[in-house]
Amino acid sequence: MTLELSAVRGTTPSGTSLLSIRGLARRFGSRDVVRSLDLTLAPGERVAFWGPNGSGKSTVLRCVAGTLIPSEGEVRVCGHEAGSLEARALVGASLSQERSFDMRLTGHGNLLFFARLRFANDRRAAKEVAAVEEELELQAIAAERVNRASSGMIQQIALARALLGDPALVLLDEPTRSLDAEARNRLWDALHRRERTAVLIATHLEDDVSRCDSRVDFPT
Amino acid sequence: MTAVSTFPRRAPRWRVVRTLVAREYASKRTYRLAFILDLLFGIANLFVYYFISRTLGAGDNADLGDAPTYFAFALVGIAITNVIGAASTGLAYRIREEQFTGTLEALLIQPVTLGEVSIGLAGYPFLFSMGRAALYILIGGGVLGVSFAGASWLGFCVMLFCSALAFGSLGIILGGIILVVKRGEALVGVAMYTLGILGGAFFPISALPSWLEAIASVLPTHFAFQGLRSAIFLGEDWAMVALALLAFAAVAMPLASYFFRRAVDHTRRAGTLNQY
Repeated sequence: MTLELSAVRGTTPSGTSLLSIRGLARRFGSRDVVRSLDLTLAPGERVAFWGPNGSGKSTVLRCVAGTLIPSEGEVRVCGHEAGSLEARALVGASLSQERSFDMRLTGHGNLLFFARLRFANDRRAAKEVAAVEEELELQAIAAERVNRASSGMIQQIALARALLGDPALVLLDEPTRSLDAEARNRLWDALHRRERTAVLIATHLEDDVSRCDSRVDFPT
Repeated sequence: MTAVSTFPRRAPRWRVVRTLVAREYASKRTYRLAFILDLLFGIANLFVYYFISRTLGAGDNADLGDAPTYFAFALVGIAITNVIGAASTGLAYRIREEQFTGTLEALLIQPVTLGEVSIGLAGYPFLFSMGRAALYILIGGGVLGVSFAGASWLGFCVMLFCSALAFGSLGIILGGIILVVKRGEALVGVAMYTLGILGGAFFPISALPSWLEAIASVLPTHFAFQGLRSAIFLGEDWAMVALALLAFAAVAMPLASYFFRRAVDHTRRAGTLNQY
């Protein structure tokens, strides 16, 4: 697969692309999941990954997040190698939403935990969590212990985590799968308010694709 | 390609570690019964050794090092086995838990270093074991009549610190192994239990067959138990042991950190970071 998307909204202040993927290939054993992907993303640009299960959408997101090392090619976030400390500080991600929280803590407790790993002090972390909970109308959901929350509720907490601190790039893996229409609108409203935030979203829903600037088709 | 200078300010190292420890404490606190039973079992274990010691009256002819009675010998062994066990297996068990709950990937996406993650994950079990060891020693001294009149508490603390460093490096290696092979808890448990037993946690190594005693006498656990007993019962003869453990840690820690980094890279390359 060779895809080239042009930066439509400029570059970062230094002229570097926000996200640059060059010749990305990823194999699992003898299976080529992603063959050769080129993609450039500018601040504020939204790209939907579209394709059937197993076509490599999540694999690309994980390569950008740095939890997978590409078999070939390179991925850079603001010029930093994907997975480096610098790149991770610029990325907010919602990948395996339902298996990514401490089930014994509340949603709020989990959000505070992740915020404290990111921000320089506790007050800032608490402020960021309160702001994102208010924006996504999550106060009631976040008060529940995660093991008592539904899939849709956990998914919303995962989205809130990805948006903590307005990261430059947000990676979302099927973020609206279990959401009702209202929650889906709240998510997209929150993303649209962040005009400089670039978004990579893997999805099966036409509605999500229609809210993005471009679509990358992943073949079977 | 030149990197842009948009790296946001991140949380200080100590706060990342504190946050990881605090989360584990908050999570464990929700299992109140298990928490209490765990402590009660440890205390009951202490009494078992107390009554064994009284029944057998052991110690007259046994080589108990600096300990005045067999129970005093076992008390330190039990208390310190907890601490050494937590330092050497705490990270491995915590990584296994994070693999099961799926939080390991979510954690490693955050802007945190592997050093912060290692110390932070191992931190709670280690601190809990320290608290438990202190409780055992208080009960031993306050209720069960063990005398610590000659103790050098400074020496004891220094020995604990050096032991934690030395066994922490082993713990990082075991954490790396668990990260890669996943189901290695049994191996980790058996290895550490054997090291504890052979190192002289519950009986003097002179009770072992001579060939096994020769092996036991060079184990780092043996040095740790010996130094800690010297510090707490004699108040001296611990400094050289502390230095030996420190030297061991100075060599082992960088190797362990390198090994752990390679283990993480292996899972990123294999795509198994979010698997269990």
